[in-house]
Amino acid sequence: MLRLLPNSRILSKAIPPVNISYKARECASKAAETVEVFVDDKPVQVQPGSTVLQACAQAGVEIPRFCYHERLSIAGNCRMCLVEVERSPKPVASCAMPVMKGMKIKTDSPITKKAREGVMEFLLVNHPLDCPICDQGGECDLQDQSMNFGSDKSRFTDNQFLGKRAVEDKDIGPLVKTIMTRCIQCTRCVRFANEIAGVSDLGTTGRGNDLQIGTYVEKMFKSELSGNVIDICPVGALTSKPYAFVARPWELRRVDSIDTMDAVGSNIVVCTRGGDIMRILPRIHEGINEEWLADKSRFSYDGLKRQRLTSPMIKDESGNLISVDWETALLRVCDAITSVKGAEIAAIAGGQVDAEALIAMKDLLNKLGSESLNTEEIFPMDGSGTDLRSNYLLNSSIEGIEESDAILLIGCNPRYEAPLLNARIRKAFIHNEIEVGYLGPKIDLSYNYQHLGDTTTSLENIKSSQFYKEHLSKAKKPMIILGSSALQRADGTAVFAKTQQISNELKEAGSSWRVLNVLQRVASQVAALDIGYRPGVENVRNNKPKVLFLLHADNETVRREDLGKDCVVIYQGSHGDQGALMADIVLPGAAYTEKEGTYVNTEGRAQRTLVAVNPPGLARNDWRITRALSEMIGQPLSYDNTNEIRDRLAEMSPNLVKFDTVEEANYFKQSEELFKDIKEKIKQDSFSLPMIQLKDYFMTDPITRASPTMAQCVKANNKEA
Amino acid sequence: MASLKVVNFLQVLSQRSLIRSFHASNQHFVDIIHRPVTLSGDKNKITINNTEDISVISGVPEEHIKERRVRIFVPPKNAMQSGTHGSKTWRLEFDTRERWENPLMGWSSTGDPLSNTHVEFSSKEDAAAFCEKNGWKYQIDERNWLQTRPKSYGANFSWNKRTRIGSK
Repeated sequence: MLRLLPNSRILSKAIPPVNISYKARECASKAAETVEVFVDDKPVQVQPGSTVLQACAQAGVEIPRFCYHERLSIAGNCRMCLVEVERSPKPVASCAMPVMKGMKIKTDSPITKKAREGVMEFLLVNHPLDCPICDQGGECDLQDQSMNFGSDKSRFTDNQFLGKRAVEDKDIGPLVKTIMTRCIQCTRCVRFANEIAGVSDLGTTGRGNDLQIGTYVEKMFKSELSGNVIDICPVGALTSKPYAFVARPWELRRVDSIDTMDAVGSNIVVCTRGGDIMRILPRIHEGINEEWLADKSRFSYDGLKRQRLTSPMIKDESGNLISVDWETALLRVCDAITSVKGAEIAAIAGGQVDAEALIAMKDLLNKLGSESLNTEEIFPMDGSGTDLRSNYLLNSSIEGIEESDAILLIGCNPRYEAPLLNARIRKAFIHNEIEVGYLGPKIDLSYNYQHLGDTTTSLENIKSSQFYKEHLSKAKKPMIILGSSALQRADGTAVFAKTQQISNELKEAGSSWRVLNVLQRVASQVAALDIGYRPGVENVRNNKPKVLFLLHADNETVRREDLGKDCVVIYQGSHGDQGALMADIVLPGAAYTEKEGTYVNTEGRAQRTLVAVNPPGLARNDWRITRALSEMIGQPLSYDNTNEIRDRLAEMSPNLVKFDTVEEANYFKQSEELFKDIKEKIKQDSFSLPMIQLKDYFMTDPITRASPTMAQCVKANNKEA
Repeated sequence: MASLKVVNFLQVLSQRSLIRSFHASNQHFVDIIHRPVTLSGDKNKITINNTEDISVISGVPEEHIKERRVRIFVPPKNAMQSGTHGSKTWRLEFDTRERWENPLMGWSSTGDPLSNTHVEFSSKEDAAAFCEKNGWKYQIDERNWLQTRPKSYGANFSWNKRTRIGSK
């Protein structure tokens, strides 16, 4: 009992205060009413209403815990966080106990240690000795804490050979594997499902020793955030099915990167071993994804290993694509380009292109005399169009959702278009009691909303709606989120103009709060518009270019039939998908995990990915391909390495290299003025959404379409429905 | 006078960490001596006026100085665990180069001598200074702080709040 615990001492004493943010500290110092408590005789000022555990965190002492999680409600059922408080008859559960003035907390006293040891002993009595075959092994809270705080010997003897507690495994879908015997009933997963995901599929049955986590009846855990229960599970009860028995955490190399499956730009850690991606985990970023990650971002990595283009290809006489070396392919591209006029060349960029590739392509085409650079995603170009940045950004920022007091969603399904943004809205809905209005087809957003109609007529008459009168117009910080889906319509300009007008009317004079928000759907769109791409492919359809570059463009916005017969289509991208199918020349590019690329998320925050693995085979970083091509054509681009191309990006738009800062955009008034000349009227029909149900969410781009895991998800969802 | 300067400087050199780099060629040695130095009032103190650059004598091949990109960051907390150990100090890491599976044993191989190098620092300024000294281009990724809001157990049971989510 009294033996020294060197590790626990290090954990509890030598930690600088990192668990709290600057913000929290600022708040504490601003509000005069703070409570002074003493953690191991060290005085700390904490906000009233904080828990003992939070006070300890502020003092730099990390209390061991299983059930407590920063972002979930307090359960107080694991008892691992017991600490001694002076003049308290029993140890207190620090996660649930509010601080009181002058409280003297002892986190390293004999009583505390004894309490922890006792809790550990009880937990381990019912925990199997699975560690050698458990996927959590090596990054298991139970393992680590039993080493640090547990007893050095076991009193568990099974004289009657009754065996340890055993629980049947549950089948909750193709993503999460369950080994329920390992469960310690912390109920983190249940709380996550109920509070964050907003899907009350998980729950508990039984009491005491018979308590079980499950879905009551056997069914799938149907959530777009389901993978997060793997992370929050402190033991190996919930593990990743695709990652089962694949790798050990200590073998992995971790590379911080950015996700490109949606326009949110979630921060991720790519775990690799020997040049292979093993798994993808979320990385904490309070401004974007907190510490969650959507399933498509987490599990679609196996799509990066399939259907890949590994060597350049050209079409032979019989119409088959044959592998060639880079020189042959680039010479063929050269011939195609030099035999036509500059203006007859065009390019279409897809949804996952990095800013470097975008600018290299733009510089090349501009040098050749073409201005036809387009994106697959449409945005209205009339009025101020994409000239004003505020028109196409989520101006109030993702973090701003928590400050907002009323949100109106127009023509979007944030739950599947940007799952983590939706989780943020749900967070604000629960903790800040905000009201949400929604215009579009009736869908499940995981929180209650006021449905204001699914037609554009409802948008025009929004001011007469009860929601507008009671909530939106009275809100101090209202938000209007207009989905990019609604702008894909033929009358997108009118929809945008109307939304802008409503937003500007709600904007309080003198307030810096931004009301208008556009929710983009693809990762590359904001960077493309910043660089000066023209949204939509109308241009290509009308002008019938002789040479067409498809830069990771796989969504079939332009088909072969839309182009002239003599048009040479050059596909540059990572996967053999729709783009490569219609191409005459294929140049294999790199996926987002294989290059150092800049992506700008829907808020306008530039972030960069890092190289986690190298591109397969002969595939190369996209901007370098364009650079090599420019050399062959005899119009070399002016940059040779990453630093130089970043300088060029800065020249084009400085925000592209100000990493991790949200560059504010303004000029809402001016933009509205420019839209006033628009005569176009909103057509009377209903908003349509590409993603309505969970099964529509999984396969949306070349990477996810190539992923077997995503295919399984779709299959499982179809079966369930 | 000039020789005195050199002698003084050599004395200082022998105390400074620069002495570690003396395996480099004579030419480099001379280069160091010819740096502008000033004698301050204190006879034993010499300040070197230009920024320290040891890349010429550090013995690191040129391709690993000019072409490497260094990232300075604080490692994120592992999403799989609640502990925060290992996510406190600043760390310096090099860009990832190609790795492959060794065909004989199936082990993971790399031709990059710096792939396993990561150096820890107590502040980003220290890390940046280290990079400058070694001639590496670097980029600093700011730290992401965890934000906390006061939580209460009672919120689970407040009758008029949305935080009351049952079905546990």
